[in-house]
Amino acid sequence: MKTLTFIAITLLAGAIAGAILATINQGIVEPYIDAAIDIENQNAIAAGELFDPTEYANYRIWQKGGEIAAGTILGMSLGSLFGIVFAYARPSIPGSNNKKKALIVAGIMWLVLFLIPALKYPANPPAVGDPETIYYRQTLYIAFLAVSGFSALGLAFVYRKMGSMQSKKILVPGVYAAIMIAAFVGMPPNPDEITAPMDLVNTFRVASAFTMSLFWAMLGLILGAFWDRLKPHETARIRVA
Amino acid sequence: MSFPALIFMSTGIKKQLTKAVTSVPKVAVGVLLGIMLFGIFMVGYDQGHLFSMAQGEPAYEDMWMHEFYHDMRHAAGFPCH
Ligand SMILES: [Zn+2]
Repeated sequence: MKTLTFIAITLLAGAIAGAILATINQGIVEPYIDAAIDIENQNAIAAGELFDPTEYANYRIWQKGGEIAAGTILGMSLGSLFGIVFAYARPSIPGSNNKKKALIVAGIMWLVLFLIPALKYPANPPAVGDPETIYYRQTLYIAFLAVSGFSALGLAFVYRKMGSMQSKKILVPGVYAAIMIAAFVGMPPNPDEITAPMDLVNTFRVASAFTMSLFWAMLGLILGAFWDRLKPHETARIRVA
Repeated sequence: MSFPALIFMSTGIKKQLTKAVTSVPKVAVGVLLGIMLFGIFMVGYDQGHLFSMAQGEPAYEDMWMHEFYHDMRHAAGFPCH
């Protein structure tokens, strides 16, 4: 495999998908973040804290600009993981071209690393979280993510080991579902009480899930397209021992 | 060269080829895993640790980096404030 080509297209695909995610978020998710921060500011003013509207406006511009950089970094990070999984899984994934194969892998990773964790610990806009519980909430989130991710990884190896057994197509997803239902029921809920309007929180969650899903689809399509073009799996040099 | 020897050689080369084609370079996996861990930690989890290395304790107070990736953290579903 061409090592440098593989690394380069993986990072580039992630960076592009992440930058697009952050750009789309400016229109789709930001209005709800703004609305939630307004509620926070109203609460702060009501509590007698000092509030400078100009300073606040500049600060928000800074945060929204930062989102583009952060989106690119997040895209490269999730893209790196996706690239590794895709490189290993590609030979055993059905599909006539790499775009289709990459979409299948991206779909599975979206389910395992985004959708299922989001069902247990959904995204929250500002004005929901209690800063006191942040380490606890991070621990819960990462633990759930790890259970989901490592179960899927382990089961992927089992799936491969089972070869041509037809039952694996029901058995393997079934075991994954059983593990995740147990984790879903067994793990404690998000400790924070939601005082922000539930309407706002729910629309924020839908908007966030929508753009994150788009991100995974784009990540798959872009890396698949690069892969079709540059074929990093074809080796550059053939070693004859 | 005898025929069986030829067959043997050709399967040997074929094995080498498949191996070269399908194996994922360990270096690439290492580099990408490193980037992934660092990036996810920074965007998703950092509460001022990274800057405290350069800036010292005040980093936890201003959380300059936190503000920078704050909105993405919420939007991507990571726990935040
Ligand atoms: Zn926040």
